[in-house]
Amino acid sequence: MSTATLDRTTAPAPTTARDASWPAQVAHVSWRWFVNLLRQPWGLGVAIVQPVIWIVLFGNVFSAVGDLPGFGGADYLTFLVPGIVMMTVLYSGAWAGTGFIDDIRSGVMDRLLSSPVHRSALVTGQLVQQLAVSLVQGVCVIGIGWLAGARYDGGLVGMAVALGVSLLLAAAFCSLSAAVALLARDQTALIGISTIIVLPATFVSTALMPPALLPSWVETAARYNPLTWATEAARTAMSTDVDWGLVGTRSLWLAVLAALVAWWSVHAMHAYQRSL
Amino acid sequence: MPLDLAVDAHGLVKTYPGGRGQPDVRALDGLDLAVPAGTVHGLLGPNGAGKSTTTKVLTTLARAAEGTARVAGFDVARDAAAVRRRIGYVSQGTGADGLLTPRENLAMAARLRGASRADATARARELVDRFGLGEAADRRTTCLSGGTRRKLDVALGLVDRPQVLFLDEPTTGLDPEARASMWAEIRRLAGEDALTVVLTTHYLEEADRLADAVSIVDQGRVVVAGSPDELKSTLAGDTLTVELVEPDADAVRSAAARVAGLDDAVVHVEGPTGRLVARTPDGSAVVAAVIAALRDAGVRHGAVAVSRPTLDDVYLRHAGRSWTAADATSKEAAR
Repeated sequence: MSTATLDRTTAPAPTTARDASWPAQVAHVSWRWFVNLLRQPWGLGVAIVQPVIWIVLFGNVFSAVGDLPGFGGADYLTFLVPGIVMMTVLYSGAWAGTGFIDDIRSGVMDRLLSSPVHRSALVTGQLVQQLAVSLVQGVCVIGIGWLAGARYDGGLVGMAVALGVSLLLAAAFCSLSAAVALLARDQTALIGISTIIVLPATFVSTALMPPALLPSWVETAARYNPLTWATEAARTAMSTDVDWGLVGTRSLWLAVLAALVAWWSVHAMHAYQRSL
Repeated sequence: MPLDLAVDAHGLVKTYPGGRGQPDVRALDGLDLAVPAGTVHGLLGPNGAGKSTTTKVLTTLARAAEGTARVAGFDVARDAAAVRRRIGYVSQGTGADGLLTPRENLAMAARLRGASRADATARARELVDRFGLGEAADRRTTCLSGGTRRKLDVALGLVDRPQVLFLDEPTTGLDPEARASMWAEIRRLAGEDALTVVLTTHYLEEADRLADAVSIVDQGRVVVAGSPDELKSTLAGDTLTVELVEPDADAVRSAAARVAGLDDAVVHVEGPTGRLVARTPDGSAVVAAVIAALRDAGVRHGAVAVSRPTLDDVYLRHAGRSWTAADATSKEAAR
């Protein structure tokens, strides 16, 4: 080569002596999504109003379920609240990927990917914001359920366990939505895929009906549904007679699922970049 | 002393799947590029020539299938992290979050790159002042005009004081006033020490005005490179045009024949006025002689103009088709 490239030692240093740490990057990314959320009051309002509608709707429409022989005489609303907590998480999680599609379309993603930012920090930062929203939603659902007459014998510990389990479910579904968004890169495809997964997942689960009242094939399928795992763990945690074994196993399954899907979403970020 | 190269790329090849049984699209087909540090380099070509793909490879966004590239001294494939620390990239889209204010966008970009809160705030203020964002700095980015948003995009590219700044079509879609303002900004950047700017554009005028050197890209390779003046001087000479008043065509022709270095003289007469058009290797050298010869022959004349060949002429010569035709073809292909 007749010409030399820039000498590394004499090249001027960037403003910043070194890159931001991974936790700092996650914090900055999630700060951005929080500001975004707060500046779109419609989105935030819907996130809170939707579960309220569900409690009122399902609580009234299905209230007769509580009188059916297979139900065991418990209060339907108390039965329903953990299911609604998990449904809420599922439905908002399904939208998590839209932010990435917006970023890909606008060019923000290209700027971020050409800067020294960890791909996993971009995914995790958004997940942190989504989990915070899920937590607020869960608290609201439990509170509104209580006002409507549901009672939680498991006390504060039970409620905390239920919320913790809901966050595991949220982590899995938000990551799934992010992965699909990064692979499909299309709003319509994301909404379509989410609907195909979320709606059957709701009804092929014990979120709204006890297993004894489900048709047998649905009851079998429901056993493999993460929504069922989360709902049953939360339901027992919030009851008088807590089955800690159930809570433990279901939480473990959910944690493994969340970890796998989160890994997939980071992988999807790399796949997006390879497509450029 | 050897020349320091901020960008040094050899034989870049990049293909994209054609999809639906179509053959692969060869976006880059052995592209070479050498950009000395501290200069402004224009990548000029019609839509679909491979300019943006080149930029994506050099900014570590995309990976070339073949070839090597070093940016700011580091290999884009093996040392991507080191390259990313030293570059700024302004893509064709916006790089800014529409719901954040410009100031917030700038501060967040700085913090993501490791600046402390105080440093990030200071840097954001500095860039807001420098780009004259003024009161727009604290409004939501979606509310800003196209020109102001584009300035913010460039400011975002400069947050970490890069050594090499990549600008992909910085003025596309801007109105003439905003474009002029952006040009002034880029010229100012070019004056800064040690900043190298790699600019892609499909505006010939933009490359001509801003770039120290230009690489004309067509179908994934560089067809010719050099300074705009060098490129234009590879075409034979200038065009000399003299406006004539009540001309005697024969007198004008014989006067023109007496001037050394004037070729292909053509006289057009249209009613009371006319025009002498001729080719010359060096227009400025023959102007005086032409005027003197016309005066001696008693021919009255109006304006005398020497026009240099344009980059459009250069493109036509090297790519074998005219600019507008190439743009139209690529639009057709995109459909």
